[in-house]
Amino acid sequence: MKTLLKNKIAVLLLMSTIFISCTETYNLKTDSYEEALVVEATITNELKKQEIKLTKTARLEEEGVQLETGANVVVTDNKGNSYHFTENSEKYISDSEFKAEPNTEYSLEITTKGGKKYQSSSEVLTTENQIENIVPKVVSTQEGEGVQISVESYDPTNTSKYYRYEYEETYKIIAPKWGDKKLIATGPQEIELIQSPLDIQICYGSKKSVDIIQTSTTNLQEDRVNFPVRFISDQDYIISHRYSILVRQYVQNLEAYTFYKTLKEISSSSSVLSPKQPGFVNGNIKCVTDTESKVIGFFDVSSVSSKRMFFNYADLYPGRPLPPYYVPCIDAEYRFCFGFGDPPCLGRQLITELNSYRLWYSYNTNDYYTMVPIECGDCTTFSSNVKPSFWTE
Amino acid sequence: MKKILLSLLIFFSFQLSFAQNSNEKLSITLKDETLENTIKRIESSTSYKFYFDSAWLNSNKTLISGTFNNVSIDEFMSAVLNKTDLNYVVIKNKVILTLNSTIYSTLPSNYFPDEPLQTNSQGNDQNDNPVFYQQYDSTSSYSVSKKSSIVFIGKENKDTTKKTFTVTGTVKNEENGKPEANIYIKVKNKNISTSSDLDGNYTLQLPRGINIVEIKSLSHKEVTKTLVVYDDGQFDIELNEKSNQLDEVVIKKKGQRATETVVSGLVSIDIENIKNVPLILGERDIFKVATTFPGIKTTGEGSAGFNVRGGKEDQNLILLDNAVVYNPQHFLGFFSAVNPYTTKKADIYKGSIPADFGGRLSSVFDIATKNGNKEKISGEGAIGPITSNLTLSVPLEKNKSSIIVGGRATYSDWILKQLDDERLKNSEAGFYDGILKYQNNINSKNAIEAMAYYSNDRFRLSSDSLYKYSNRLFSAKWDHTFNDKNKGALILTNSEYKFNIDYHSDDINSFDFGYKINETQLQLKMNYKLNEKHNFSYGVASKLYNISPGYQHPTNPNATLVPTDINKEKGLESAIYLADNYKVSDKLLIDLGLRYSLYASLGPADVNTYESGKPISDATIIDTKHYNNNEVVTTYGGLEPRIAARYFFTEDFSIKAGYDVTRQYIHLLSSNTTQSPTDTWKLSDANVKPQSAQQASLGLFKNFGDDEYEVSLEGYYKKSKNILDYKVGAQLLLNENVETELLQGEGKAYGVEFLIKKQVGKLNGWLGYSYSRSLIKLDGEFNEEIVNNGKFFASNFDKPHDLSAVLNYKFTKRYSLSTNFIYQTGRPITYPIGTYNLGGAQYTLYSDRNEFRIPDYIRLDIGINIEGNHKIKKLAHSFWNISVYNVLGRNNPYSIFFVTDPNGKLKGYKTSIFSIPVPSITYNFKF
Repeated sequence: MKTLLKNKIAVLLLMSTIFISCTETYNLKTDSYEEALVVEATITNELKKQEIKLTKTARLEEEGVQLETGANVVVTDNKGNSYHFTENSEKYISDSEFKAEPNTEYSLEITTKGGKKYQSSSEVLTTENQIENIVPKVVSTQEGEGVQISVESYDPTNTSKYYRYEYEETYKIIAPKWGDKKLIATGPQEIELIQSPLDIQICYGSKKSVDIIQTSTTNLQEDRVNFPVRFISDQDYIISHRYSILVRQYVQNLEAYTFYKTLKEISSSSSVLSPKQPGFVNGNIKCVTDTESKVIGFFDVSSVSSKRMFFNYADLYPGRPLPPYYVPCIDAEYRFCFGFGDPPCLGRQLITELNSYRLWYSYNTNDYYTMVPIECGDCTTFSSNVKPSFWTE
Repeated sequence: MKKILLSLLIFFSFQLSFAQNSNEKLSITLKDETLENTIKRIESSTSYKFYFDSAWLNSNKTLISGTFNNVSIDEFMSAVLNKTDLNYVVIKNKVILTLNSTIYSTLPSNYFPDEPLQTNSQGNDQNDNPVFYQQYDSTSSYSVSKKSSIVFIGKENKDTTKKTFTVTGTVKNEENGKPEANIYIKVKNKNISTSSDLDGNYTLQLPRGINIVEIKSLSHKEVTKTLVVYDDGQFDIELNEKSNQLDEVVIKKKGQRATETVVSGLVSIDIENIKNVPLILGERDIFKVATTFPGIKTTGEGSAGFNVRGGKEDQNLILLDNAVVYNPQHFLGFFSAVNPYTTKKADIYKGSIPADFGGRLSSVFDIATKNGNKEKISGEGAIGPITSNLTLSVPLEKNKSSIIVGGRATYSDWILKQLDDERLKNSEAGFYDGILKYQNNINSKNAIEAMAYYSNDRFRLSSDSLYKYSNRLFSAKWDHTFNDKNKGALILTNSEYKFNIDYHSDDINSFDFGYKINETQLQLKMNYKLNEKHNFSYGVASKLYNISPGYQHPTNPNATLVPTDINKEKGLESAIYLADNYKVSDKLLIDLGLRYSLYASLGPADVNTYESGKPISDATIIDTKHYNNNEVVTTYGGLEPRIAARYFFTEDFSIKAGYDVTRQYIHLLSSNTTQSPTDTWKLSDANVKPQSAQQASLGLFKNFGDDEYEVSLEGYYKKSKNILDYKVGAQLLLNENVETELLQGEGKAYGVEFLIKKQVGKLNGWLGYSYSRSLIKLDGEFNEEIVNNGKFFASNFDKPHDLSAVLNYKFTKRYSLSTNFIYQTGRPITYPIGTYNLGGAQYTLYSDRNEFRIPDYIRLDIGINIEGNHKIKKLAHSFWNISVYNVLGRNNPYSIFFVTDPNGKLKGYKTSIFSIPVPSITYNFKF
C-alpha cells in the first residue's frame, strides 16, 4: 500500500510536469529581427500606370506596415525601354502608361535610399488568356450550402497553365428595419420622432480578396479552367439582394505560381496531423550589393483579364427567405420614463444610446419603445450608400 | 584456511633449520592401500607424524602397492606421492604434506631485491626460481587478488628442467555444459594466446609459475584465473553469462578489449551494468545509456530517434534478434520499447559496420535477447512509479531448451482516471510490450531460436485525438554447424509498424487515420574458417517491403470529409556480401568486406513523370504511368565496401581505421524537428532516389593500469548523398505526390570523440566528449529547391559540444551511488524574425533554416542503489533504486514553437520536459 501511494505521488508529479507545466509562453527574441524589403510588383498587359509597392518587414511585436520610401524604382526591358516609377501615396507609380508586351524580357531594379541595390531576374509576359465566363451555382460543399462562383477560361495553346485570381465583390444592402420615422433625443429627457432620411436604406458593400487564390491545369488534358474562386455561404447577408463580383485572372509562370503557393502554405494553419516546415521563401529578386540581405517578393509579369458578373438572390433561391442580416435585428423594449417604476424606467439608457447612435426606432406603444441595433435601420453605419458606377440593376 | 596453513608452513620452514630426519628407516608392504591408510600404518609403526588436509588424500584415488624395505622416509614418500599432486617435507619426525607446492629450505637468491643478485649459472632464467604465490613482503608484481583462489597445475618438482608446460582443457558453458568454440584465451603480460576449437578444446604452452589467464569472448563474461603451473596438466574453463560467481573470478567487463577488435566506433552496452545508471522515472533504458556515449545523440529528451555521428533519425538499423524495430521507443521517446530485463547485449556500430548489415546509412543497433535459463525456473522484475515488469525464464527440457517471457505495462491510465483535473481525466497515456523467446540446442550441430515481440502505445494529450502505434516483430533462426570449418545461420524475420490517429471531436468530420509498414526478410549467413589467418563470412539477404502510406476515413456517416486512401508502396531489397577477417600478423588485423545491394521498386504503382527542366511539383506532372502488381518500376543498386583495420603499436595501444559505404532505400518523412510516431516511412521509387553515405574513421585505443582504464580517441568524416529534406511549407501526410514536397541534398558530418572508461573498482563509469558537426546542403536548380542560399547549414540535430559523464561509486557491497551529467549545445531552430504584409495579408518572416539555437542543455541525475542482504539462501535477491532526474531543476527547453493566435498575433511557446527534479523509486527483484 505504501508503495502504491508513493507511486501515485510520483505519477502525479510526472503528469503534472508533462501535461501542465510543460508549455509556457516564450518571449520572442527581438534581437533576431532582420529588416528585409518586401516587394509587390505585378506588371500586366493592361495599358495603364503600373504600380509597385515597397514595404519593410516589421518586428514581431510591432503592428502596421512600414513603407520603404525614397527608393529608385525602374523597370527595364530588353528592347531598350525603361520605365521609371515615382513614389505617390504609399505606392510607386510609373511615370507613363505602359503595358507589358509579349516576347519581351522585363526586369525590375530597385535602389533603396540606404544604397542597397536589388535586381529581379528577367521575366516574360505570360500567355494572354481571357476569362470566358463567371458562373454562380448553388452547391453543397464541405463548407456547407451556398453559392459557388467559378471562373471558366480556355487556352487552346495549352501554355497558360498557372493561374492566380483576385476578386472584388460588391453587394447591395437593404436595411431591413428602415422606416420613415427616426427617433432622436432632443434634450436630456426629451425624445422626438422625425422623418428619417431616404438615403440610408440602400447601401453597397465591397470587399477585396486578400487570400492567395491559385489553380493550375497541368493535370488536365487541355488548358481549360473551371475553378471555384469564391464560395459564399447561403447564410451570408452579402448575397441577400444583388451581388456582383469582378474577377481578375493573372496567368503566372511556374516560378511565380510556386512562390505564391509556398507563401500560402506556410501561413495557413497546420493540420492536426503534422506541422509544416517553416522557412524563408525565395522569390526572384536578389540584393546585388549584399547577398545576405533578405528580400521578399516576386517580380511578376502577368497577362491579366477581368470579368464582372451580377446575380440576384431571388434568381438563385426563388421564394426562399433571406439570409440573416449583417447583425441580428433583435427587438429591445425601452420604457421611456425616469425615476422608479415597474417595469423599470429606461429613459436615461435610451437617451444615451440614441445620442451615441446605437439604436434604431422600430415602433412604439405609448411610452414603450421597441428598438433594434442601428445597423438594421441605417446601412451607412457600416457601408456606403454611393452606388458604384458599374452597378446595373 | 589452506592459504594460512601454507604461509605458516613457509614461515616455519624459513625459521627452523631445515633438518630431515632420515635416521629412521621403515619397512612396509602395501597392497592396494589408499594413501590415507598408508599414512595411518606408517604413523602406527614409526614415530613419524603426518600433517595434511584429509581432503587432499581423498581426491587422490590412486591405490598404492609395493614393498619397501628399510627405505628412508624420503625415498618412501617420493615413491608414494609420485603419482599425486602432493609434495612433502620432513621436519624431524614430522611429515608435512602440501598440495602442489614444494616447501623450500632456502630463499631464492633474488628474493630480497636489495641484495645483490647471485649470478645464476643458467643465465637469467627466472623459471628456475621457485614460485611463491603470496609474496607478502614484496610489492606484488602480479595483480593477484587476495580473494581469488589459485589453480595449481601439476605438482611442483624441484628437479624439473622443463621451462614450459602444456596445459590443456575444455571451455564449457557453465549453464548448459555445451563446449564453447572460438573463445580467446590469453596470458596476461606474456605473449601467449590461443583460442578454443569447435569442441571447446584448447592447448596452451605456459611457463612455469604464475600465469594470469584471461578468457574472453564477445558473448561471455570475461574471466581471469591465476594458474600456478608446475607441470603439464589440465584446466577446464567454465564460462557463464551471469555475474553471480563468487570469489574465484574477477569479472572485468564483457567483450573483448576495445584495443583488440578490428571495428572502431563500436559501443557495447553491458545490460547488467546499466542498472547503476540513474533512472528516469525508475526505468532502465538501454537507449538512454547509449546516448551517454559520444557520437550517439537525440534531438532532445523525450524525442524519439537517435542521431549517430551526424546522421538522421531514419539512418539507424535497430535490430532486436535480427528483426527491425521501426519505433524503438514508448511514449514519444520517454521510455525504450526494448525490455532491458530480457536483453542480453546491445552492440551499436557507429562506424565500421560489418558487411552482413545493410540498409541504413549511419549505424546498427544490434540487440540480442537473453536465452532462457535451461536449468531452473528463474525470474526478475521491477516495480516502478510508471511501469512494472516481470520476466520469467522456464527450462522446457533441461540443459537443452528454454523459454523466456518478459512483459511491461504502465498504470498511468489508471492514475489519470483518478485525477480531479478535467483536462487530465480526458487524457490517456499508456503502453505495454511483451517478448517471448524460445531457444533449443537440438544437438551439437544444430540450434534454433524463435522470438516474438509486440509493443503498443496509445496516448491522448488533448482530448480529441487518440494516437496509437505498435511494433510487431517475429524472428526465427536456425544455426547449423557443417563441420569444423563451416557453419551457417538461416534467419527469417518479419516486422510491422503501424500508427493510427482517431480524431474524435464534436465536429462531424471526425476521422480515422492510419499508416502501416510491413517487411519480411530471409537471410542466410555463412562462416568459413579457412585457417588461423583467414575467416570468411558470406551470405545473402532479401527483404520485401509493403507500405500503406495512409488513409483517412471519416467516422461520422454524415461527414462531408472525402475518404482518402494513398496508393500502397512495395519494394524488394536484396544483398549479397563477402567478408574476410584477415590476420596479417599478430599486430595487423584487417577486415575486408564487400556488400552489393540491389533495390527494386515494385508495382502496383502510379508513377508520375514530371516536366523536365522544371521543378517537380503538382503543377509539372505531365504523365502518370500505371504499373501492374510486381512489375519493376525502377531499380537502384551499388557496391558497399566495408573495410576495417587494426594495428597494435604495443600490446595495449592500437590504431584502427575504417572506410564504409552504406546505402539506404527507405526514408522517414518527418516535418517535425524531431522524430514523432506519426512520421511515415517511404520507399525509394522513380522519383525518390536512395540515400548513400561514405564514412572514413580513424581511432586510437589505449588501455592503462592493467586494463582498468580504457581510453579512446576517434575521428570521422562522413559524406552523404540524397539526404531527404523538405520544401518550405511541405505537407507530407496524405499527399499523393509526396515527392513534390521533398528535396534531396548533400550531407556532411565530422567529429572527434573522446571516451575514457573505468570498468572496475569502487569508482567506475565513463566520460565521453564529442565535438561534431552535422551539415546539410540543399542547392537545387530552382528557387524552391534552394535553402539558405544553397550553402551548407546545420541540421536539426547539430549539437557541436556534447559531454556526458556516468560515474558510479560503490560505498559497500550494498550501497552505491551513481550520477549522470550531460551538457549539450542547444539544437538549431528556424526562428520567426519579423512580419510583413503582402497583398493585404499578414505573413511571418522566418530566418534562414536553423539559423538560431535553443539554449544549451544541462542535466544532472543522481541515483542510489540499495541491494538487499547477501544471504545466499533466500527467496529472491532484490534491490531498491532511488533516483532523482534533473537534480538541478534546470528548465531545459525541448522545443520552441510559434503559433499565430486568432487575433493575428504571433506567440512563442517553449516546451520543457521535466523542468523540475523528478524523483522516483523502483523495487527490483530476481529469483
